[in-house]
Amino acid sequence: MAISIVMPALEMAQETGKLISWLKKEGESVAKGEPLLEIETDKAVMEIESPGDGVLAGIKVQAGTEVPVGRTIAWLVRPGEVPPADEVAMESGRKTTAAAVPAASAISTAASANQPASPTQSVTQSATQDVKVSPKARRLATERAVDLADVRGSGAGGEILASDILAAAESKAGASPATVDSGSPISRLMAERTTQSWTTVPHFFVVREVDAGALNEARQKLGPEIEKSRGVKLTHTDLLVALVARVLLKHSRMNASWTREGVRTNAEINIGLAMAVDDGVVAPVIHHAHKAELGEIAVQRRDLAERARGGKLRPADIAGGTFTVSNLGMFGVDAFTAIVIPPQAAILAVGRIADRVVPVDGRPGVRPMMTLTLSSDHRVVDGARAAEFLRDLTEAIGSPQQWLG
Amino acid sequence: MPETGGRELTFAQAIREALAEEMRRDPTVCILGEDVAEAGTPFKVLSGLLEEFGKDRVVDTPISEAGFTGLAVGAAMTGMRPVVDIMFGDFITLTMDQMVNQAAKVHYMSGGKWKVPMVMRTTMGATRRSAAQHSQSLHAWFCHVPGLKVVLPSTPYDAKGLLKSAIRDENPVVFFEDKMMYKLKGPVPAGDYTVPLGVADVKRVGEDITLVATSSMVQVALGAATLLEEIGISAEVVDPRTLWPLDEKTLIESAKKTSRAIVLDEGYERYGVTAELASVIATGAFYDLDAPVKRMGAMHVPIPFSPPLEDVTVPTEQTVFEAARTLCGR
Repeated sequence: MAISIVMPALEMAQETGKLISWLKKEGESVAKGEPLLEIETDKAVMEIESPGDGVLAGIKVQAGTEVPVGRTIAWLVRPGEVPPADEVAMESGRKTTAAAVPAASAISTAASANQPASPTQSVTQSATQDVKVSPKARRLATERAVDLADVRGSGAGGEILASDILAAAESKAGASPATVDSGSPISRLMAERTTQSWTTVPHFFVVREVDAGALNEARQKLGPEIEKSRGVKLTHTDLLVALVARVLLKHSRMNASWTREGVRTNAEINIGLAMAVDDGVVAPVIHHAHKAELGEIAVQRRDLAERARGGKLRPADIAGGTFTVSNLGMFGVDAFTAIVIPPQAAILAVGRIADRVVPVDGRPGVRPMMTLTLSSDHRVVDGARAAEFLRDLTEAIGSPQQWLG
Repeated sequence: MPETGGRELTFAQAIREALAEEMRRDPTVCILGEDVAEAGTPFKVLSGLLEEFGKDRVVDTPISEAGFTGLAVGAAMTGMRPVVDIMFGDFITLTMDQMVNQAAKVHYMSGGKWKVPMVMRTTMGATRRSAAQHSQSLHAWFCHVPGLKVVLPSTPYDAKGLLKSAIRDENPVVFFEDKMMYKLKGPVPAGDYTVPLGVADVKRVGEDITLVATSSMVQVALGAATLLEEIGISAEVVDPRTLWPLDEKTLIESAKKTSRAIVLDEGYERYGVTAELASVIATGAFYDLDAPVKRMGAMHVPIPFSPPLEDVTVPTEQTVFEAARTLCGR
């Protein structure tokens, strides 16, 4: 029997995937586990393996097309077999593909990792995996050139109804095409997640100026050796990630999440690193950063940055973060506030290191100063807890080699 | 509807008036049936007709539905316009050969030389506590047979006008009266008027959902529409009035307008009238439907005598209201 190949859901809240390329041609034989196609999800480009042995047939979707997850995009058939015309086998096909991408559904984006799915989310998800469209809505969509993939159904079971198409057509007509950029998956996701965080997470901010002299010294001292052994330049960010992770060991409450049941302390310390890419920001994760040597952190940071730039981040790269560091020092920013990435409890915004006149032993002196701004979720931590964490972090930045030794 | 000057009749009175007017107008019109003369039927529909027209034209028959129905077929073939009374619709079982193999076929098998201008009046409708053999609505059976016309009036006005059309029709017509509606009052003009067979009527204009309903279900639909109005759903109620000939166009146009439809009929839902009407709508209005067409008919059980049980076997205002609300996504 033919096996359907469906657009898989690799992330919890993923609604559509973009087919980047077919790695096999129509009619070509493919073995189970062989790379079959490349897709781009909200945050990553992934290779999808073949769910079985067979001949690739009935390709319905060409490269560059955005497809709702769960939709059949091609079939695997036996030699000579004709692919089914309808989508009757869709359900079994979905299971097959899910099995081919082990744990795919368990992987989620940095922003939604470990978040309990709310009823609304699960409704939306089932709707996009098996989109039902009323006959009238389908006709109207054709007449008004509305792409069904862009429409969210308002029916009781997520069905797309005529009113949804009319609303979509209206918003399309109302928008000025010259100024509106519907955006890439990353920019749209960024918009959604920051809105969700800013409007639902009660933020508060704790700011501290720290002397970065010792940090500079540590970098100068440890850098050359790491560059020699690992072939990567040590950055201030690497040092900060290592120090933050080690300080978090003492402050488990900062490494926690707000859940409906209450505060959950995360067992792992995984530091997300905010990185600018062409169309927004991603926060790939350095896992177990408290145990990782400085050199390992530097290597991981470099690899993640390269993959982020190439749009090749894997779901595992962006999943599981428990605390994030965002450094805008290289842009000359003195200080800024960052938006917490739920379900993480806090994010550290790092400004540039600049020479300032400060009191040194009672006299004016010039020191390399840096401003740290800690944004926290007030449901998880309070001002005193955040201040204590920042105090210990300041101390660690003042004597990094002691902490990294 | 023409101006009636406030004149109101019950459904039963409207039927009687139609018969009386047609009997005065045409001496070939006569009535045959059990307890039709002195008793005026158990429902008192025909009271007074014996006195006016005499026992030659209002004929009490033996308890033999097959016999007097066959008699009527023969009388119709030979120039009369008999109106047969089958007391309970459940008893049509006994008349089937006469109706299906004789009345429905004669015109065709004689190459158009014979015609059978008869009317069979009978009853339907549950919730009268009459148990399994006196509560069925079996009109779908006749709808399935080419050569028979099937009429289901829902108001006194329609009852009078449709019965007159049925009596004047040159074909065998089966006329179903819901016995629960005999006391329903409504405006009825005095004097002659007819309602043509094959023309549906929009009983209530609405925008959001179409309730297609037959016979007493029209009243249920109108009640549900009032409930729906309170929650902001505007329901249109369409009564086909005759199931054959069927005014498909009006049904389809209404469903196209509202994009949603529920079909209500008191016959058994399974393989029933609702299936046919829903199919007509689904086919004709497919590209304008925003939801599947919903059917509501009698439960697939022999109608129970127990009142609480009987009441759940047929659609009610409340169940129609709930179904419509769900279909509209509220």
